[in-house]
Parts: sequence; structure tokens; C-alpha cells
Amino acid sequence: MSLFIQGVGAVSPLGPNATTTWAQLLAGNEAPRKTLPNGMNGREYYYVPVPEKFIAEAGRQPRLRRSGALSLMGAAAAYDALADAGFQPDAQLGARCAVIYAICSGGVNYTRRFYHELITQGVNAASPMLFPETVYNAPASHLAALLKLDGESYTLVGDCAVGLSALHFAAQLLVNQPQLEVCVVVGTEEADWILSDAFNSWRMVTRHSDFEVFGKPQGTIFGEGAAAIVLGRTNGIPVARSGPGLSFFSRQDALAAARQVIEPMIQGEVPDCVICSANGTFVDQIEERVLRALLPTTLVYSYKPALGEALGASALFQTVFAALALRHQTIPGTRHGGHRLPCLTRASRTMKLHRALVTVIGFNQQVNSLLLGNS
Amino acid sequence: MKEKQRVLITGFGIVSPIGNGAGENLAGLRAGRDGVSPVTAFDVSETRCKTAGQVNDEPLKAVFPANRRTKRLHRSSRMVAASLAEAMSMAGSPIPELVVFSTSVGAMSNGEEFYRAVLKSRSRRLIAQWVANYMPQKPILDALELLDLRLPMQVISNACSSGTNSIGHAFNLIRDGLNSCVICGGYDPLSELVFVGFDSLQASTPEKIRPFDLHRSGLVLGEGSAVLILESEESVQKRKATAYAEISGYGVSTDTYHLTQPNPSGIGPRLSMERALQSAGSDSVDYVNAHGTATLYNDATEGIAISQLLPGIPVSSTKSMMGHALGAAGAIEAVFCVLALRDRFLPPNIHFREPDPTWKFEVVANQSCPASIRTVLSNSFGFGGTNASLLFGAI
Repeated sequence: MSLFIQGVGAVSPLGPNATTTWAQLLAGNEAPRKTLPNGMNGREYYYVPVPEKFIAEAGRQPRLRRSGALSLMGAAAAYDALADAGFQPDAQLGARCAVIYAICSGGVNYTRRFYHELITQGVNAASPMLFPETVYNAPASHLAALLKLDGESYTLVGDCAVGLSALHFAAQLLVNQPQLEVCVVVGTEEADWILSDAFNSWRMVTRHSDFEVFGKPQGTIFGEGAAAIVLGRTNGIPVARSGPGLSFFSRQDALAAARQVIEPMIQGEVPDCVICSANGTFVDQIEERVLRALLPTTLVYSYKPALGEALGASALFQTVFAALALRHQTIPGTRHGGHRLPCLTRASRTMKLHRALVTVIGFNQQVNSLLLGNS
Repeated sequence: MKEKQRVLITGFGIVSPIGNGAGENLAGLRAGRDGVSPVTAFDVSETRCKTAGQVNDEPLKAVFPANRRTKRLHRSSRMVAASLAEAMSMAGSPIPELVVFSTSVGAMSNGEEFYRAVLKSRSRRLIAQWVANYMPQKPILDALELLDLRLPMQVISNACSSGTNSIGHAFNLIRDGLNSCVICGGYDPLSELVFVGFDSLQASTPEKIRPFDLHRSGLVLGEGSAVLILESEESVQKRKATAYAEISGYGVSTDTYHLTQPNPSGIGPRLSMERALQSAGSDSVDYVNAHGTATLYNDATEGIAISQLLPGIPVSSTKSMMGHALGAAGAIEAVFCVLALRDRFLPPNIHFREPDPTWKFEVVANQSCPASIRTVLSNSFGFGGTNASLLFGAI
């Protein structure tokens, strides 16, 4: 069955929608950083926030009035993608669409606050208002309510690769469920100092304000945001190939797993560009080696130095940017690109783009890939 | 697309508060064993509810030889690995292509340990380990690694319907010819944060869990893991495997009434059950393994829906014996349904005292009973209004 990306949407640190974000990336801009202090010891981490004004509109929905940024950004990105696809969010749409969410850290703000109240003030202080929003599928539930859905709503969890897993899940649903016209696939991620502190303990987060990709891996900076795709059976950017990805059990094992996933995606045909997942960590080394081996001359772009590593949203951000690159026949330049990968884009350029490959090596043992365009 | 395939269950494994392995669980179901006990994993002195269905960890440690790798495993990983090993062994030599698994809590206790360490400025020696193992997919990856299975994986987290969703999605993939063998199931361990969360919502009870009782007062949490090996009939025939039951229908609905409360009309559960029957092309059901959490709201809406759709049907909630295992519940209850079909009995709804006169079905009260059942409907409903139902058939 042929599947198409009918619409793309985003809320990012650089814009309240995909169009603005894309224009900013093409202009070579990167989003401002802020610092997040560890609430216990004051240790500070840089992160790339989404300005509150970008999600103010979503926050006016009665259903979302108690929700955190995670749900607000997800809903705003989904509405942006639906508008891009020409859909009005109404009951008619709710009867013929499914919602699939990609989640990594989930409602980490509310979870941390709830647990903090619990262990510092006792169980009687733990707020029942916070607890429901800690559940992984809370954002999907809110969007389903806004779209008046009565059918399929799923939340998938995983690492940075979960967005592509969700997209493939949506493709499976469109094959299985003839009554479905479209799937709205959303990835969303909010920042919290606990995440930065945790990943810093794991040596994945840098204490600097910038990070370089395909250089010496020194850690990443987390970013917030949400990205959304409307996937349907007609009209739009063709999804040439998608898959469920693969797991790897050690870093040594990751290269073989990445090859095993990416080779069947390209099937000997060289894509015109790669939108990669490089984020300044060990991921870059694996991705560099696999791209050098399989696609030594293909242009590669990483959005993450500009917007930060948005974990659960990141693979769908990559997919949104791959679709926009094909739509506009333009690819941005990578900010803070190292010199280990010669084909990394250094400045925006306009060129013929027929096929774009998305590659993701996750922090936590998952790899996946996706090919857009005419195969 | 290929023509619709029959979907058979060729292996299953289970770790639950009423036993480790299918044999112990079968004996527990038949005996109406109460697997709920005082919580020992964390301090419950200030919570209203003080009990939960808890898995016995000791036998799990013997499933895989002790070495540097297995010593560091989280108990969730042990639960998943034990149930996966049992299912794979029962299925013979299946050739799975995909894992569709579920969780709601994940390995939350790693996150709890991490936060306590940060709060108390404790040694950071174990922090990286807690962080790496905090991810909800990690216990599944650990289990796959222990069994040397390198497979693609999709992990569904639809709150309490997750387990049924994972099996249902795997069922759809095989029925429509996209896959021929899929490992599916779910896990969830007990977690302090989630335990207190349900306590704060006053959804959990300090008393016994009494699903569908007129005087029910709330749920008790549980934990565990269950795995099913689903195969197309073609694959089963090709490798001459034994099938223990089949799955013939799967239905879902989304109830957008409220994040934590179902629509009181019962429309959510009713739609998911109707859709499972439509998917199977059948209206024949001999027994319902209900979601039956024993909360006022859940049982009221599920009771209305079952009464409207399947009046007179025998119904039980096996959560009465082991508590509510959240993201694992649907998978554990699926194994219970397979055992009921294979061994021809109705699992009991224990601690049951007084029926609610508004409902038009028969609660399998307190004792299991022999029954020549051919079809079983299993329900799971969750936070966020996710409802899912599966229809199982005897072989």
C-alpha cells in the first residue's frame, strides 16, 4: 500500500509552527539557550526551551488547562500538521483518524514534582492533580479528546528512535484498518533539570552552551518541542519505506544493527540527502561510520545543534524536516558541524531532492530509518 | 494484501502474584488463590491502602544463571525474561519477526532510586545504571538479550489497556498477513510513585479488592509479566507446532469523557466489545474476563456495557486474586483466558459477597467451576479512555 505524508507540523524553540521553524533553520539560526538549575544543588545545565507564547493558544483549550508543556506542545504540533494537510479538527475527522504518540521521557515535570512532594512532605501531600498527567498516554488522550476521536489511540514509548517506530505503527494501522483515512503521529518532549542531571551522570549531556556534531563527542543539550505528521493513503510526500527498526545490545553491536536497518531502506539506491540523528554523543560515531560505509557522498544534515536533542520528538522532527526538504528542494546547513563527516551540510542550499533518508541511532539501544520520496 | 490468516497461540509464559509459570497460575486460578499481601517493597505506613499483589522474586533468580550481567538486572527484566523463556520453550522453535510489548509503569523504581540519590546527595556510583535502566523498553531489551533474540520492537503504553493493545496489534499484523509470528505481552512492576498516585486519587482500597460487588471500595495494585507467541495457522502447520487457543477478534475505542473517569453511559467499554465481536464476525461469547478493577466508576460502566451486550453471561475479574497489574494486566489476563479455554473452567471472582441488582450477568463468585467454554472475551480499560477487548477461541 502506498502511504503519503499529507501534512507536517511542529512547535520548536525556533517557531510556533513548522513553516517558521523551517525558515529559521534555512536562515542558519539557532534557538537561544537558557539554563536549568538542579533544584537540589544548583548545578546548571543548558537547554533549548520552547517560548511559552508558542503554546499559549493550545493552553486555552479547556481540556488542557491542567496539562503540562508536553501535552500543549503535542496538541499544537498536531493542529499545525492537520492544517497543513487541509483538515479541520472536527467530529467528522475524529471518526476517520487515529492518534499515535511517540514518547520518551513523558510527563517528567509532573512526575518529578509528584515524587518530590511524596518523599519530602509525605504521601498526604502528593497531589492527585499531578498524578494523572504523569501517565505516558496523557498527551495522546488529550489530543484524542480535542479531535473527538472514538477509535484508535496509541502511545509508543522508546528512545530517540521511537518517532519512527510510531510512524511505522501508523502505517501498519492504515493497512489494517480500512475505515481509517489518516493517522496523526506526534512526538513531544519537555525539558526538566532532572533529565539533564540524569543524562549528565550518564555522560550524555554537556555543561557547555553548544555542542558539536560529528566532532569529539562531549555530550548534547536537551531541547523541547513537538513534531507531527499526518499520514494518509493519498496526496503528499511518498513514504517509500518504513520499518519497525531494530534493537542493539551494546555500542559495539550498534553499528551492525544500524547497517541491518539502513541497507534495506536504501536498497542500493542513493538518496539525495540524509537527515541524521547526530547529537554530540556516542551516537555520532556510529552514524558517521554507517554513513561513510553506505552513503559516502550523500549530503547529511543534523538539526540538533540548532534546536537541541528533543528525545521523544526528535525522530519526528527529522521526518518533518526531511519532508520539508523534499517539498521545498532545499536543505539547511548544520550548525556546529565537526569535520569527521565531510558530507555534512555547512550552509543552506537549493538542489534537486527526490529522496531523503532519515536515520536514528537511539540513546537506549534502538535504531531505525525511513525513506521519503519516490523510490 | 494476503487473505485473512487465522491467528493461533503456540506458547505463553507468565509471572504473576499467584504464581511463577503457567502451572502455578493454573493451580492458583482453580483454587481461587489470593495473591494480595502487605507491601514490603516500600514504606506504606502513611497510605490508605497497604496491600498489593506481589511477585515472588526468589524463583526468578534461578531462571538464568547468576553472573555479572544477570546480577545487575532489574526485577522487571527478570519477570519479562522468565515469562519470555517459558513462552518460547512452550512454542518449540518459533521464528518470531517482531516484538509488540506493553508497559505502563516501566522501570519507574530506577527513577525513584535516582531521585532519592539526588535529593540526599548520595553517591553517584549507581546513578548511570539507574538512568540507563529507567527507560520503559529496557526490561524487554534485557530479556531479548538473555534469550539471544535480536528483534524489532514496538512498546505500547496505553495505561491499563496496554497489554490487550499489544496482543491486539500483534493479532492484526498476523491476521492481515504482515507478519507470521509475533512475540507479544506486557510487564509492569510495583512502584512507589504509582502506588501513592492511586492512593492519592482514592482509587485504591484499604480493604479486600471486590470487583462487581455492591460494596466494592476500590482497586489493589498488582504486578507481573506475561508473554504470548502468536502465529499464523500457516506457520503453525509448517513447523507442526501445537496451538493452545486462537485469537479471533480485537476491538478498541477511545472514551474522551475525562482523563481518569469513564463516560458513565458505558459507551467506551461497549464499543470496544462490539468492535472485537465485529472483528471476529461472531456474537458468541461464553465467558467474560472483565477489566473489573473494583473501583466504583470502572465496574459501573463495564457492568452496564456487559449487561447491555451480553446479558446472562458468566463474568469474573481475576484482579480479585492478584490486583491490577496496569500495563501487564491485559497480557496476564490473556494467559488466564487461554488457560480457561484449554482446561475448561471459569476462573473465580474472589472476595465477592453481594451482587449489584442493576447488572444482568452472573458473577463467577468465589470458586472456579468447570465449564465447556469455547469463546472468551477479555476487557482492558485505561486512564485516558483507552478501551480494548480481545476475543479468544478454543482449539
